[in-house]
Amino acid sequence: MKSILRSLLPALLLPALAAAQEQQLRTVITPAFSPITWERLVDAKNEPENWLMYSGTLDSQRHSLLDQINTENVSELEMKWAYQIPVIDRAETVPLVVDGIMFITEAPSNVTAVDARTGRVYWRYDHELPEDLRICCGRNNRGVAILGETLFMSTLDAHLVAIDARTGNLLWNTEVAHHASGYSKTAAPLIVKDLVVTGIAGGEFGIRGFIDAYDPETGELIWRTYTIPGPGEFGNDTWLGDSWATGGSATWITGSYDAELNQIYWGTGNPGPDWNGDVRLGDNLYSDSVLALNGDTGEIEWYFQFTPHDVHDYDAIQIPILADIEFGGEMRNTMLWANRNGFFYTLDRATGEFLLGDTYASVTWASGLDPGGRPIRVPGMAPTYEGIMVSPPIVGATNWYSPAFNPDTGLFYVTSFDGEQEFFKRDEDYEEGERYTGGGGRYTQPMDAFHSSIRAIDPTTVDIVWEFPIMPRSSAGITTTAGGLLFSGSADGYFFALDAASGEELWNVSLSRRVHAAPMTWSVDGEQFVTIASGNVVFTFGLRD
Amino acid sequence: MSRLSGVFCRRMAGCTVLGLAMPLIPVTSAEDAGNLYNTAVDVRMGERYFERQCSRCHGFDATGNDETGAPDLTGRLTRGSTDVAIFNIIRDGIPGTAMLPVAADVPDPQVWQVVAYLDSLRYDPGSVVLAGNAEAGGDLFWNGSDCADCHMVNGRGSRSGPDLSRVGENRTPDDLLADLVNPQENVAPRWWRLRITGPDGVSREGYRMNEDSFSLRIMDDGENLWSIPKEGLQSYERIEDSTMPGYAQTLSESELDDLVAYLFSLRREEI
Repeated sequence: MKSILRSLLPALLLPALAAAQEQQLRTVITPAFSPITWERLVDAKNEPENWLMYSGTLDSQRHSLLDQINTENVSELEMKWAYQIPVIDRAETVPLVVDGIMFITEAPSNVTAVDARTGRVYWRYDHELPEDLRICCGRNNRGVAILGETLFMSTLDAHLVAIDARTGNLLWNTEVAHHASGYSKTAAPLIVKDLVVTGIAGGEFGIRGFIDAYDPETGELIWRTYTIPGPGEFGNDTWLGDSWATGGSATWITGSYDAELNQIYWGTGNPGPDWNGDVRLGDNLYSDSVLALNGDTGEIEWYFQFTPHDVHDYDAIQIPILADIEFGGEMRNTMLWANRNGFFYTLDRATGEFLLGDTYASVTWASGLDPGGRPIRVPGMAPTYEGIMVSPPIVGATNWYSPAFNPDTGLFYVTSFDGEQEFFKRDEDYEEGERYTGGGGRYTQPMDAFHSSIRAIDPTTVDIVWEFPIMPRSSAGITTTAGGLLFSGSADGYFFALDAASGEELWNVSLSRRVHAAPMTWSVDGEQFVTIASGNVVFTFGLRD
Repeated sequence: MSRLSGVFCRRMAGCTVLGLAMPLIPVTSAEDAGNLYNTAVDVRMGERYFERQCSRCHGFDATGNDETGAPDLTGRLTRGSTDVAIFNIIRDGIPGTAMLPVAADVPDPQVWQVVAYLDSLRYDPGSVVLAGNAEAGGDLFWNGSDCADCHMVNGRGSRSGPDLSRVGENRTPDDLLADLVNPQENVAPRWWRLRITGPDGVSREGYRMNEDSFSLRIMDDGENLWSIPKEGLQSYERIEDSTMPGYAQTLSESELDDLVAYLFSLRREEI
């Protein structure tokens, strides 16, 4: 009897076991990870369940076609999980989601893969860093790029690393530039066909900026385009003497790509030294500009300089938003740009032609733009030894925080700041690896005395259609959705949703710590989620079950 | 306001005997006692280095930056109060934070000059010669004036003004006198007032304890704490003035001196 029972037991238990296993499988197994082809990246907009690159799509509109969470039900959002980054620092990450797996970068230069449904870890890659880093503004990393089954990440020691997306194994590790000379890397790379395109940071250390393209298989450098022309090249004479060699013009945020025009668009940073322009008289090309590069060769096809001979640290380190809009009665391939210098620009992205521009925030350093888009400077606004009050302050009217464009509303959304600051000039000699800024700035009022807001701008008029006030100042990016929503965060630790058409607040949750990143949205098994980093934690929200 | 200028000896301004020995004695280790690089020239060189290398996070005037999390270096330092401790932090950084070490090839004397500059932002309170009498000022504070009707010191007093238990640590006597005679200068946002009318039509006014994008928190004159969503407010008014009166007319010069002396004495014991 005993032996009969023993032989029957497995058969009797089998259905129950199978059901339990099936339940367990449903719980713990995420959908299969499938390789990311270039075609999938080009068509990322139509794969809204995934967030495949830093700005969502190659045109960087940060607009998702997901609409399950919408203006009617957004108030039912609730937290689904939180992932606490083990290294204490501020998180600037925009995670990617690929077929149910989320890749989160962490300070200083690490990346973790988690189950997007639960936030539980698959693997973690720790990047070993030297002690003698040269970084201007914190131990930041903003995200990875993916092609095939490989992730590509910038590291603070100015390396580019390739990591196996399934295991976290290091595939290759290329030194992009020598960190001890002042170079570092913080931004997510951009995949362009079979190239990993990436920028460089170090604009406060007298570097010479560039944009690079690497072979994703080997890490070999394919091309490099300097953002400061060398001797004999067009534009080199816009730098006094040898100042071009230490002129900064870093490229520390991710660019965009137009597949039809085969052009890569990338913003460039301040000329160096930042606040003392006496040693670099001239326009200082191509600092504070947007460059359009050939997608195969990296050659400069056009440029537009927002702030010639900048002396206020007004980097053009913003994400170029590419949008086809009706302008002057015809459809135009435009590029929309709210600049750190306080002006908003609409450009023709095929040619770089300036179409329209005006202020969108408080500006005292320039009185307007001339017909070619060049700023009309107000005399006496350059930094002095004694200090002079100028608006925008050093952090800018906006900064690197991702803006968004919603084709449904036709509006451009940007985090903006109306502040002012005293700017100082100092005399400094360049020393390799040392800061080379020529001055600095000082607030004379508490931050609460200033005005911050999310502004919705009509790119055909630069009219501010609505604005939503934020306190005290925000460094969060913005994402919009086909559900009529705008998601963003604030320095006072809120994550919130607005009606993208009206700016009306629809939902908010206090996460306590500063939001220093941009939100992204994705779905698994037909269920939409939205994710944001606040402080040192990555939070994911979904509709109430 | 400048009655104290030049009266107190700034510790690193070349007024010690050690300062004179600077060119002769090499300093190579933070184990050595004190900073030998403390002449006025050293302070100036340290300031230049600070402005260039440190001000991005700590602020051009070293008063810190709440966005970068870099602390104010002009008052009492929490991670090290001695010159050696400050030197070691600059030399080695603070592991696991954005406070990186200075480059290895920066010579020790240059680091000491930064220490000298930071020291120049502070002073030995014991070296300050005050015109007033702290004991008389304390008596005036508690018994002869209305100070304690608003302020608290070491748990005693009231809640309608800043707690003054440590006010001597970060305010100079000049600052304190200015606070007394002209309190409308530099009113901290914590002491602004908010006057609001809620959706229920009830008006409330109180100190602005905190305000964010979606809500505000006040303490009203009955010391009740209110947290109120901004949505639905019928009216909102922010008053950035101080509720403190100026005392230039109501207190004599000697009384003001005594009060300053008392307030300046309010500090923790040096560790």
